Parts: sequence; C-alpha cells; structure tokens
Amino acid sequence: MRPIGPVRLAAIHLKVAALNEFQYRLNFFVQLLQSTVALAVGLIAIAVVYSHTESLGGWSQAQLLAVMGVHLLIGGVIRTFIAPNMRRLMEDVNDGTLDYALTRPADSQLMVSVRQFSIWSGIDIVMGVLVVLWAGLAVEGAIGVLGTLNFLVVILCGSVIVYSVWLAATTVTFRIIRGDYVMQLLDGIYEAGRWPVTLYPTWLRLTLTFLVPLAFAVTVPAEVVAGRLDGSSLVWAIVVTAVFAVGSRVIWRRGIRRYAGASA
Amino acid sequence: MSISAMRDYYVAASRIGFQRDIQYRGATFINILGFMIEPAIYLVVWRTVAIEQGGSVGGYSVDDFTAYYIVWTLVRVMNLAHAPYAWEWRIRGGRLNEMLSIPVQPFHRDFAYFIGSKFVWILMWIPVAIVLTLTFQPRLDPQPAHVAGFLVAIWTGFAVRFLLLYLMGMVTFWTTRGQAIFDLIVAGELLLSGRLVPLSLMPGWVQSVSNWLPFQWSFQFPIEVAIGRLSNIEILQGLGMQMLWIAGMGLAFARVWPRALRNYTAVGG
Amino acid sequence: MTDPVVVSDLRKVFKVPVRDAGVRASMRSLVKREHRDVVAVDDISFRLRPGEIVGFLGPNGAGKTTTIKMLSGLLHADGGDARVLGHQPWLRSKDLLSRIALVMGQRNNLQWDLPAADSFELNRAVYQIPDADFRRRKDTYAELLDVAALVNKPVRNLSLGERMKMEIVGALLHGPEVLFLDEPTIGLDVTMQKRLRQFILDYNRTDGATVLLTSHYMADVVALAQRVIVIHHGAILYDGALAGLADRFAATKTIRVTAPDLPADVSGLGTLVERTPDKLILEVERSRVAEVTSRLLSVSTVSDLSIDDPPIDDVIDRVFTAEDAP
Repeated sequence: MRPIGPVRLAAIHLKVAALNEFQYRLNFFVQLLQSTVALAVGLIAIAVVYSHTESLGGWSQAQLLAVMGVHLLIGGVIRTFIAPNMRRLMEDVNDGTLDYALTRPADSQLMVSVRQFSIWSGIDIVMGVLVVLWAGLAVEGAIGVLGTLNFLVVILCGSVIVYSVWLAATTVTFRIIRGDYVMQLLDGIYEAGRWPVTLYPTWLRLTLTFLVPLAFAVTVPAEVVAGRLDGSSLVWAIVVTAVFAVGSRVIWRRGIRRYAGASA
Repeated sequence: MSISAMRDYYVAASRIGFQRDIQYRGATFINILGFMIEPAIYLVVWRTVAIEQGGSVGGYSVDDFTAYYIVWTLVRVMNLAHAPYAWEWRIRGGRLNEMLSIPVQPFHRDFAYFIGSKFVWILMWIPVAIVLTLTFQPRLDPQPAHVAGFLVAIWTGFAVRFLLLYLMGMVTFWTTRGQAIFDLIVAGELLLSGRLVPLSLMPGWVQSVSNWLPFQWSFQFPIEVAIGRLSNIEILQGLGMQMLWIAGMGLAFARVWPRALRNYTAVGG
Repeated sequence: MTDPVVVSDLRKVFKVPVRDAGVRASMRSLVKREHRDVVAVDDISFRLRPGEIVGFLGPNGAGKTTTIKMLSGLLHADGGDARVLGHQPWLRSKDLLSRIALVMGQRNNLQWDLPAADSFELNRAVYQIPDADFRRRKDTYAELLDVAALVNKPVRNLSLGERMKMEIVGALLHGPEVLFLDEPTIGLDVTMQKRLRQFILDYNRTDGATVLLTSHYMADVVALAQRVIVIHHGAILYDGALAGLADRFAATKTIRVTAPDLPADVSGLGTLVERTPDKLILEVERSRVAEVTSRLLSVSTVSDLSIDDPPIDDVIDRVFTAEDAP
C-alpha cells in the first residue's frame, strides 16, 4: 500500500479540525475579539512611537506597518498550523502516546506536523494580509507584480523557517524542560520580530538572523512590501530556509531514533 | 484565624512556594528569562527614538529610558501574579476541591505561595540584571529615600496586581469565555500602566484615564520611585494610592468570593 | 453527645444539558439550551453515631460521591438538611473544616514535588496543630503505616501505595473527628489494602473518630464497617448491619455438606453450585433451608454441614441489578 501523500494527509486533518471547530461558533467571535484587540494594541503602539519621531531606525510609519502586518500574518500561521502540532507532539511524548503517530504509513515528521489545527486563529492570517495590503498602499511606490511574487516567495520561506525552528526546538527539548515553557519561550522570542531586527544591537541582530531567523521570517518580507528589499536578501532567505529545513529534519530524525530506542 | 496563626500559615506556605520553585529551578529560570524579552524590545525601540530625536524624547533621555526599562525587569518579576485563566484549569481539574477542603481560604494559599516564589525569582533576576547593566550601562543614582520607597512599592505594587488578576479570575466562575475579557484588560494594562512606555509619553487624555485605574501603581510607580523621578511627597502619595487600591479591590473580592463559591458549589467540580 | 453526622431529606439535583446528535440539533442548541433534571440524591436521611464506621455502598452514579461532597462542603444541597458536627457543611465554617478530613483515593493533598515532611509542616500551620500533638501523631501514624523512612523523599518518587499511606498520615495530623474516605484502597495491592484497613480500625478505636467510607471493594466494607448504607439511584435501599444485608436482599442461602453417601438427584432441593464425590454445595431458597437441611441429614451420613449467606458481593450485585430491571 502506497503511503498517503502529504497534501492529502494534511487535507484530511484540516477537514476534521474544521468540522470540529465549526461546532463552536462562539469561539469564532471570541477569537475575533482577541485578534482585534491585539491588532489595536499593535497599531496604538506604533502610533505612540511615531507621535514622537518621523522614522525609527530608518523605517517610516508605513514601513513599520508592513512589519506589523507580516508579524501578524506569520504569527497567525504559527498559531493556526504550527503551534497546535508542536503542543500535541509534546503531549504525546509526555504521555507516551507518540508511537500511535509513528506507526502510521506516512513519514513521521509529516504525521506530527499536520494533525492539529487551530482554525479560528486563521483570523490572524487574514488580518495580517489586510494590514500588509494597507501598508503596501501606504508606502510610496507600488511594488508591482515582481514585488508581489517576491513577497509570496519570502513569506513561504519565512513560514518554512519558523516551522523548522519550532520543530527543532520541540524535538530537542523533548525531555529536558516542561513543554509549556518551550512554547512560551518561542512565543516570547517571536515577539522580538514585531520590530525590524535592524534596530537591535549587532550581536542580537546576528542571533535573530542566523540562529532564530526572525529576520527572514518577518523583517525581510516586510522589506519587500516596504520597497526596501535588496537582491541579496532574497538569496539569503532561500539559502537560510534550505539550511533550516534540512537541519530541522536531521534533528527530528535523530530525536525520533532516540525516542524509539528509549521506549523499547 | 488569629493574626499569629495567619502569620504562621503564611510563613509555612511561602516556604512551600519557595521550595517548589527551587526544585524546578531550570524551568523557573527559563520562564523568568522569557519575561525579560519584552522590556529588552521596548528598551531598544525607545533608545532608538530618543537618539534619533537628538538625545531625548518627552522628558526622557537615552539614559533615562535605559534606567527605566532595566528597573522594569525587576518590577515585572515582582508584579507577576496568579493568572486569571489558571482558574479554569483549577476548576476543571478538580484542584479547587482540594483547596476548599482545608480551613484556609484559597486566596491566602495563592498569595503566600507567590510571596515565597518571589524570593526565588529575585535571585534569578540578579544575573539578568548584571548582564543588562554591563551591556547598557544605565546611570542610576539612588537616594536612601528612593531605595526605601522602592522596597515598599514593589511589594505593595505586587499586592495591587495580585488582587486585580485574582478578581479577574473570578469571572471564570460565571463563564468559560473569560479569556476575551482578560485580553481586553491586559491590553489596557499594557498601554495604561507604563508597561509599554512611560505614561508621560502618551497623550494627555490617556494619562488622565490612567489615573483612575490601578495599572500604573504596579508598573510605572515603583519604577519611577527607583529611578528618582518622584519627590518624597509624590512617593508617599503613590504609596497611599496603592493602599487605596488594595483596600478597594480587597473589599470587592470579599464580596465576590462567596458568590463565586456559591456558584461553584451549586454544580461542583 | 449529639450524633456527629445527621442527614435529613437531603436532595441534590443536577441540570444536565440535553442535545441530540447532528448538525441541525447543534444549531438549535446554540439558540436554545435544553436541560434535563437529574436527581443525584433523592431526599435521603440517616445519622451516624459517634465512633461508628459506616460503609456507603452503591454503584457508580448512585449518589455516593455527591453525598460525600455535600457532607464535606464541596457541594451545597438543593433540599433537606445535613449537619456535620453541628454545622451545615456547605457553609464551610473554619471550625468544621478543622475537625473533619476528606481523603479521596485518586486525589493528592500533598505537594507533589516536595517531601511529605514539608507538606506535613504546612498542615501543621493550616490546622494550627499544637507541636506535641503534631509530632506524636506524625511519628505514630508514619510508623504504623511503615512509611516513616520515606517522609523526606519527594512524594512523586513514592509508589502509589506509599503515596496513599502518606496521604492518610497527612490527613490525620489534625486529629479529625469525622473522616470521609472515598475509595481509599483503590489501586493498592492486597497487602497494602489489609494494612490500611487495620490502620483505619486502630485509628477509629483509639481516637474515636466517626468514619464514613465508600468503596468498591467489599473486602473494605466487610473488614471495617459495622453498618452499611446502600444507595442506588440517589435513594437509600438499606441502612443497617452488614449481616442483615443478606437477610434483606438475598433470596437464598448456601448449604455446604460433606458426606460419603450424598443423594444423586438434588434437583428438588435447590440449585447445584458444585459437586465432588463427597461434597455438595447447594443454593437453597431461604424458606426451604430447614426442610432441605433435615432431608440431607436424614438420607446421608453427614460429617460436616454449614449454612451460609451467599457472598456479600453477589448479594450487592443482585441488589443493584434487580433495581435496574424493569
């Protein structure tokens, strides 16, 4: 029997998750409220900063709006697709029920990555897109078709990068720390992506570029929208994405081998 | 319970809180580190703004901002309180039944545990403070009155925030959708407490609104006492306001708690 | 001295949401919530005398745990009254809470990640136990339950049995006068169960505490309870001595007879349970016991004869299944 393809697998789980959550229509309104509040707070924070200055580290208000939009968008991707799976993974490791997922006829990494979804968090993705569009219009100089393509490529890269980081972090800390702290820590670090990484001191900027590449997840896509992208960033983005995707897979395989060995 | 019995209990219970966090020191430390990311971001942003505006903004120089956000980190460690959404887990998991079976109110148990934990967290904050001080070189020039005031203000500030979050948690006894309300209030706190930015950098009307709310007494007030931006009179006035909020919210809680409990014991855990 | 536990017409009703399966029903339920009243405890009355150990028997959902929760203040009643040591439990007076203890089999009152000794210290402060009493009880009970060497180990490192015993020690440090035990021996092996039962008996004897015990294990009830209250569907079916239970509910008695020349056909005497060449076990209707016994004695040279109630477990089983049958 041929193992099930990744797209089909994801689609099945997505449908189940959607059917499940559609029952709880109230959750939609709760999430809508929460996302709106978060968005409002973000906008107010930017407004407060820009009530005192015209530019922040060379970024105009409209450009910073682009950063916020991308941050919201990728944050939505994390909350909808990535975090639920990582949390489930950690629970399974703690409860010893990971074997169930591992014995299915599909790649283990795929299995643990497409099981859970937080459907209503998709609101953040929608809001992020809207803010990005708004920023794109507010910024001087339209970005055009090529720019849009660039943006889509870089957003995709950014999504793969955060996924890789989240997966690697979860795998590595399988048994070291209590799971919820890892998630909290990652969320906290992600908060740093709210503002362009160019603001941070050099050592931090390098950390956020090559260790936890928030630069490529958030700042670079924002630079595309803001019309600030230079060609090398695009190349770097693709390179870093590839490195992290491969690296996280290696970490995953090793983690699984150790897990399977331990519980045998 | 008599005063001495209560004190006896608080000592015993805070010891438990202390020991628990020492037991899990790895996880606790990482947790504390996580809380340090937020002020680091604000610090960088506002220093940048100040530098670009020629060295100061809204009455705060680059050094002032540095001092503000570094003290912020200690104030933050001190004002961490019992999360409102934790009640949901407590009720659902049956933990509340265990807490209700002893002749001590859950409030005292929680408060005492937190007090014990604070001492562990302060110890863990020290290395963070050292790193931040060496990196950013703030200029702090504390007067004895400021230090004394600060030592009081961080604990009373903690009490204010603890009561606030505890009251918010009561909502869970009436609805499971409390998270939305909590988010709203925390968003308000972010903007109206001096957490995001010193209130003097917010528009005037925002400052007026904040004066009617308890938020600033857990964040901005202790910070400003420490960095010496308040006169002795203002420090005393601030402490007085904290006491007022503690009394007010304490009274409110005393009235809400029996009702919440009645709600709970009608249906059980 | 007044009875420590008095229950009169105690009633508890739960509102349970009702919803059919299906999408249309779930849409409807968004607009209008439907509820059904479930009577968990149906106007029950009983009293416990000072120093009694009473077994509270009933299948899951019978109302045992709901009753215990009401008596320990975790639930308030919807009708009737209950008094524990003179107080209405759901008012949760400090005085009352300091004089009772609730031990539930699956729950922990001890701090999970710290040594039990630390939790005991906390209990000392919570209940304001005088130092001498505290030390005496702690040492005595830990010794009796054979966990004295383990008090400094983190509770999470103890086995289930050791943890349970530690919980009991912690629960008794303040010398409660009324003890509610909910499934105290669940999950323990046979030796532990025996140990724990003996300990409860001793505690009851020396301290004179009144004990209300619920358990699935008949062995617990048989070993400890002088009196049982049987509850089913929220109502009390029986309240009296354990021995009387069989009389009330068992329709039969078990006759065991040993003889070399037992009759071949015993169909007219009763139901055959077991037969070996020289032994016979019969279940006989109670009204016919005298007749069947004299028959057996007259046709065989009997060397041993005993007449017993059927096993308590079977009796109880029959009680509950009988009540469920239409």
